[in-house]
Amino acid sequence: MTPTISATALGRRYRDQVALDNVSLTVEPDSITGLLGRNGAGKTTLMRIVTGQEFPTAGDVRVFGEVPAENDAVLRRMVFVREEQTYPDLRVGHVIQVASWFYPNWSEELAQQLLADFELPLRRRIKKLSRGMRSAVGIVIGLAARAELTLFDEPYAGLDAVARQQFYDRLLADFAEHPRTVVLSTHLIDEAADLLEHVVMLDRGRVVLDAAADDVRGTAMTVSGPAAVVDEFVEGRAIWHRQRLGSRASVTVAGPLDVAAQARARTLRLSLEPLSLQQLLVHASGISADEKVSA
Amino acid sequence: MKTLVNVARYHMVDRVTYLALPWGIMIFSFLVNLAIAALVPAPGGWYTAGLLTIYVFLLISGAYTMTRSLPFGLMLGVSRRSYYLGTALLVAALGVVYGLGLTALQVVERATGGWGLSVHFFGVPWIMDGPWYQTWLASFVLLALFFLYGMWCGLVFRRWGTPGLVAFIAAQVLVVLVAVVAVSMTHSWSAVEQFFDALTALAVTGVLAALAVVLGLGGFASMRRVTV
Repeated sequence: MTPTISATALGRRYRDQVALDNVSLTVEPDSITGLLGRNGAGKTTLMRIVTGQEFPTAGDVRVFGEVPAENDAVLRRMVFVREEQTYPDLRVGHVIQVASWFYPNWSEELAQQLLADFELPLRRRIKKLSRGMRSAVGIVIGLAARAELTLFDEPYAGLDAVARQQFYDRLLADFAEHPRTVVLSTHLIDEAADLLEHVVMLDRGRVVLDAAADDVRGTAMTVSGPAAVVDEFVEGRAIWHRQRLGSRASVTVAGPLDVAAQARARTLRLSLEPLSLQQLLVHASGISADEKVSA
Repeated sequence: MKTLVNVARYHMVDRVTYLALPWGIMIFSFLVNLAIAALVPAPGGWYTAGLLTIYVFLLISGAYTMTRSLPFGLMLGVSRRSYYLGTALLVAALGVVYGLGLTALQVVERATGGWGLSVHFFGVPWIMDGPWYQTWLASFVLLALFFLYGMWCGLVFRRWGTPGLVAFIAAQVLVVLVAVVAVSMTHSWSAVEQFFDALTALAVTGVLAALAVVLGLGGFASMRRVTV
């Protein structure tokens, strides 16, 4: 099957800065991919190139097997919701109405439901909305468009926790009924972690991680207990991080622990805790930064 | 074609910018001129430049389509090419309809002897003074010309910012300056005068139409690599 997105050695250089450097990745159809990374890592640039809003300076990107830039047939099959989308001076209802003309799979029913969920005032001008409400407008368009490729770039700036949960719930529910390819960039990694099937992490314009979310989750464990026992247990394992508090220690080790090791930890009364996706990624970005320095 | 029509419809959702403001401001300007004419009668008839307001406003609207309206337009899954052509479709539609409106007002103006006050607001000597269809054609071409110029300026601003726009306009001033200097140096002002005297209103409309096409092509070229 043709991957929804495939990028090969993609690069984007601005005058004094490299936004994307040799990025190669594929996104499979009907999956939810998390695009993660720090501010300025290149997430938005990558999505802008995928949606033809920006041009790469190196490499090649294909969407549905075709070059997306200036390709109406490809462009109309995707929707890109940006963090700070600029709207003309229109009312909320108008913006939604305009969007409904352009997306072939638009669901008016879902749009109305989402507008009610987020309590958006249809008559109010977009520029009078709060930051959170403006984000909600983008979310309504992004979900109701039911585009085959749906890209969300930090879609919930300014949205409260309840509204964010509503977004996750709606996304999952609609995804189950109408499968599509979703790419979601976010800083709230733990919040979105359960949603993601695949994670791609960018750091300074490079891909530092590209794996199935389930594979990533088991890659590190934190072992804690009495210092002496912990030290004995982690002997011979790759240690990512070590912390001591009085007689107790807490050590993060790499790699999944097999059943025997887990049983041993239980008999030694050590507590085992897998590292969350967020902690893992903080760690991963630290490693890549160190590598850069030493290189 | 459906996409192009949708782009044009997208612009027209903002009825204030494309409908209410240009006509509202022009009619306000017209009423002010009428009031002045009523207070201060002029024996030779009143010639105003008030009609210019609608053209200037279309120039601003044109710039607006390529600045404020552009990012959301490109979010809607249309290519730059479709966005530009769809906007050009709007230009053509507005030019036809607004031109017809201006022509109708000119007809009324003539029939009423300049609104009873010898005011020539909608009639412009020479270019919009002939038969109605000629006024309509000239209005259409001029409306499109101003709108397309606004679009191009908006795109230049979008791509190269304020310095780019200043350079763009400065370059045009320089072109005019070079032409003026060239005519002066060769002492050909009388030849230029004769040339324009010989030109019919229809021919001038044709020249303006050619200029509008050039502006349209220039904007289209600038659009090709604009980013949002």
